[in-house]
Amino acid sequence: MEFLHVEGFRKQFAGTEVLKDINFDLPKGKILAIIGPSGGGKTTLLRCLNFLETPDEGKVYLDGELLSDAKVSYSQKERREKQLKFGLVFQSFHLFPHLTAIENILLAPNLLAKDRVKEQFKERKKAAKGAARKTLKKEEKQALKKLSAENKRHAEELLNQVGLSEKRDSYPSQLSGGQQQRVAIARALALSPEVLCFDEPTSALDPELTGEVLKVIRALKGRTLIIVTHEMAFAREVADYVLFMTDGVIEERGAPDEVFLHPQKEKTKAFLKHMEEYHDE
Amino acid sequence: MTSFWNVTLALLEGFGSTCLIFAATLVFAIPLGLLVTFGSMSRFRPLRWLMRTIVWVVRGTPLMLQLIAIFYGPALLFGIDGFDRVPAVIVAFVINYACYFSEIYRAGIEGVPRGQAEAGQVLGLKKSQVFFHITLIQLIKRIVPPMSNEIITLVKDTSLARIISVTEIILVAQEYTRQGLIWPLFYTGVFYLLFVGVLTLLFRHTEKKLEYIKI
Repeated sequence: MEFLHVEGFRKQFAGTEVLKDINFDLPKGKILAIIGPSGGGKTTLLRCLNFLETPDEGKVYLDGELLSDAKVSYSQKERREKQLKFGLVFQSFHLFPHLTAIENILLAPNLLAKDRVKEQFKERKKAAKGAARKTLKKEEKQALKKLSAENKRHAEELLNQVGLSEKRDSYPSQLSGGQQQRVAIARALALSPEVLCFDEPTSALDPELTGEVLKVIRALKGRTLIIVTHEMAFAREVADYVLFMTDGVIEERGAPDEVFLHPQKEKTKAFLKHMEEYHDE
Repeated sequence: MTSFWNVTLALLEGFGSTCLIFAATLVFAIPLGLLVTFGSMSRFRPLRWLMRTIVWVVRGTPLMLQLIAIFYGPALLFGIDGFDRVPAVIVAFVINYACYFSEIYRAGIEGVPRGQAEAGQVLGLKKSQVFFHITLIQLIKRIVPPMSNEIITLVKDTSLARIISVTEIILVAQEYTRQGLIWPLFYTGVFYLLFVGVLTLLFRHTEKKLEYIKI
């Protein structure tokens, strides 16, 4: 069993089977590209991995341990812990319009830090009385302050990593699509997910802006990534493994050169040919 | 001859009640409206139906009737003492306006793209954190114009309180009419105009403050 192991994912929407028994593995630090026609179930698969949808059936194992099972219902707290193992970058960014670039990145880590510190001090505060309680409160405040400072430093590093340090205090509306997507990537990275997923990260962008986003993703090599994409050349270049998904099944899988140069299945061949023609236009 | 000054003072006193009803209605109806919204958007069907029925009845009947029902209802139906006049007015107004506000909130919440909540969710935010840190401010931005409208209507609706003899500004002016003096009645318009003028400036300021959020 590899680092990420997905077993038997099934999902129906109003009687239509969108995922039909999806199984795959991904070793740690490797990049998986998922290609295939629209409506083939790629986005649903990512949404299931990120707990935005609950599959009807299926299990996810991470690092050898069962992370989630569709048959088990988890409490909000459990779900949140599991959710944090995964990150998702959306096709249309979904930055928070009322927050600046750095605030977008900091919101979740700071809220998380607050909850964790609170949790940590809860029992001790309950037991303490009077002056001891006051000291604890002070300690709690300091612990939180320290974490916030760390988060801020980390966020600034991430902004630098995606090349947007000078846009630190800009609102999303003041950024280009490519810049927004780069902030969204930094935002997802801020929580250090074990597996980061990209749902067609450049599909909403003007062609001249896709390059800068792909460059940022390329630089993430070494992390465990799942990228749903229509950028065939990019998929071939960065991916260690490729899945071709259509009609809710994994039709073909393999190393990029196998799938792109020597596809075995008719559907894969037809899709790749179609994409090539589309690209030539 | 009643002097202009005396009339002004008398009207001002009535205007005090007007302001009280206005302020109390806002203070209670704004949060209550949010509860009504959550109820009418609830996944628990009986609660949703109950809330929607209440909103339908409240929006579907004249506020004047609701005032009378709340003031006289308890005594007529159950033979018990109900509310005093001013509290009765406030209760009726709060319920009425909470229902109108709830529909504005609902439209506002539904107007915030689903991707916003989903982005919060994949970042591990709790439901309450998604609401207070992401949805709420975008919701406020969306509802300021329709809320301004409703709040301006409220300023003038307060004059209905005279139905159960609460001496708000119009009732004071009507006393003068009874004595053959018409102009104080029209003079009340100046008070309303000034009040609404201040509110308009306040709303415009709020909209300006929220201009940085582009949605």
